[in-house]
Amino acid sequence: MHECTATVVSSEARCSGLLYELVLSAPPLAAQVKPGQFVHLALLQAEHILRRPLSVYQANKDAGTLTLLFQVMGEGTRHLTELTSAQQLQVLGPIGQGWNPPETAKRALLIGGGVGAAPLYLLAGELNDRGVLTEVILGAATADLLACEASFVTLLTAGQVHITTDDGSRGYKGFTTEVAAQLLAENRYDYVATCGPEPMQRIVAAMTAESGALCEVSLERRMACGIGACLSCVVDTVNGKKRACVDGPVFDAREVCW
Amino acid sequence: MSVELSVNLGGLVMKNPVTVASGTFGSGREYAELWSASPSCPGPLNALGAITTKGVSFEPWAGNPGIRITETASGMLNSIGLQNGGVEYFCSNDLVWLASQNVPVIVNVSGHSGEEYTKVIQRLEREEAVAAYEVNISCPNVASGGMSFGTDAAAAAEVTKLCRQATKRPLLVKLTPNVTDITEIARAVEAAGADAISLINTVAGMAIDAQKRTKVFDRGVAGLSGPAVKPVALYAVYRVYQAVDIPLLGIGGIRSACDAVEFFLAGATAVAVGTANFSDPLRALRLAEELSAWCASEGIQDIKELRGALKDG
Repeated sequence: MHECTATVVSSEARCSGLLYELVLSAPPLAAQVKPGQFVHLALLQAEHILRRPLSVYQANKDAGTLTLLFQVMGEGTRHLTELTSAQQLQVLGPIGQGWNPPETAKRALLIGGGVGAAPLYLLAGELNDRGVLTEVILGAATADLLACEASFVTLLTAGQVHITTDDGSRGYKGFTTEVAAQLLAENRYDYVATCGPEPMQRIVAAMTAESGALCEVSLERRMACGIGACLSCVVDTVNGKKRACVDGPVFDAREVCW
Repeated sequence: MSVELSVNLGGLVMKNPVTVASGTFGSGREYAELWSASPSCPGPLNALGAITTKGVSFEPWAGNPGIRITETASGMLNSIGLQNGGVEYFCSNDLVWLASQNVPVIVNVSGHSGEEYTKVIQRLEREEAVAAYEVNISCPNVASGGMSFGTDAAAAAEVTKLCRQATKRPLLVKLTPNVTDITEIARAVEAAGADAISLINTVAGMAIDAQKRTKVFDRGVAGLSGPAVKPVALYAVYRVYQAVDIPLLGIGGIRSACDAVEFFLAGATAVAVGTANFSDPLRALRLAEELSAWCASEGIQDIKELRGALKDG
């Protein structure tokens, strides 16, 4: 984990301005980041005294860049959308325990809800490189909120990308969990990873537990320090309270008290 | 010009007047690890005049359920609830590590009753690594104990007296600003044997989610900290400095050397960096150096010259 000064390469609205893609030049972070880790960004406005934790979507070690995909949730993230290229900001990272797929995994299912697709992208790349047959389910409310579909389709050499939308404007009409139930019934997976709304993750965890596969979830909490000291971001687990920042954000689903 | 930065905080000798606010720094280990990985880091943990630990209770405390923090304009609200592993865990883990860091350790002590505070101190008396205690009678985030002791002069004095009987080490008592007259509480804990007073703890506040029409925090109340509370803290230090003879540790929204100097002028002997540790994890460590530079540029040879040195007009 480093505290470093990052430079904005680009900042672009995606999905009608509901999501933003921020590219930062931060070579030490790009070199170190592992799938599922996040970075903690200091905002430029003095009134924002807390940093914002954002998961890493893509990393380019050669270019020294990180791509972050985020949803505008409040004033802080709205201010993040105002960043322009060449601006500098303090970034702490990479932080946290990322995904930990078993070495022996042969077939994996990744399930991303909304902006939760982003932290699954580097994982999908790693599994794909290892020759793990990887299927991905990406869900969103509507078709124009599917920010990551094209990049996942390009990435995967073998597996398939399944799409769901709440309104049926693209792919299966319904929730990711419905497609996940079908796939889990039809196929034998030895690894399932999910990120997105917590109710979705909870349902995926329960379904996967029945199938016997290892399931990892990525949990989001409000965070202050981002280094494990303040105990703001705790998650209830069967082993007591754990910190989403440094003990997570990825947890074995069996450990989480939902 | 070399500037004399050392201070004596109620018997606790600090090589510079900078510590951290309890609860914002864990036991320092996470920060030390980050610092050691940062090329721009000015030094190890002992760049601080002292480290103040997170609150330690006798039994383990789970802390509060639900949302624990939210940002406010130039501040934040927290409802952590003093989650900690209890004094035995603290001694065999945090304190073992702290003992090797070559920095005075102020242990922040929490309890639900006078007896619990005493039991924590009695256990810590067996540990050489402890330099001083800071008794927390001011946390708004626990149901019994905490702030309920700090809002009543007689109760504050009683807890202070019990702690005083348990130790000869420097005893700081941390006060809440959520009272009608903080000088009354300050005088009571001074009379009961406190060696120094830390002020302020967080300001009671709340947050409401307009969309959901719900309280953000399960307990409703939470503690406000950060730059937003600095004027409140400064005024508390200013008033208490005139009311008591024991030294004061100023806490509340301190980020810069200039902030710290304002607290010295109001009467503080030392200062603690709190919420600023979250926005800049290197902040506390850099502050002593910045204070030295500030004094040098202002022709101040000894930081103690600033204490209570407000000019008229």
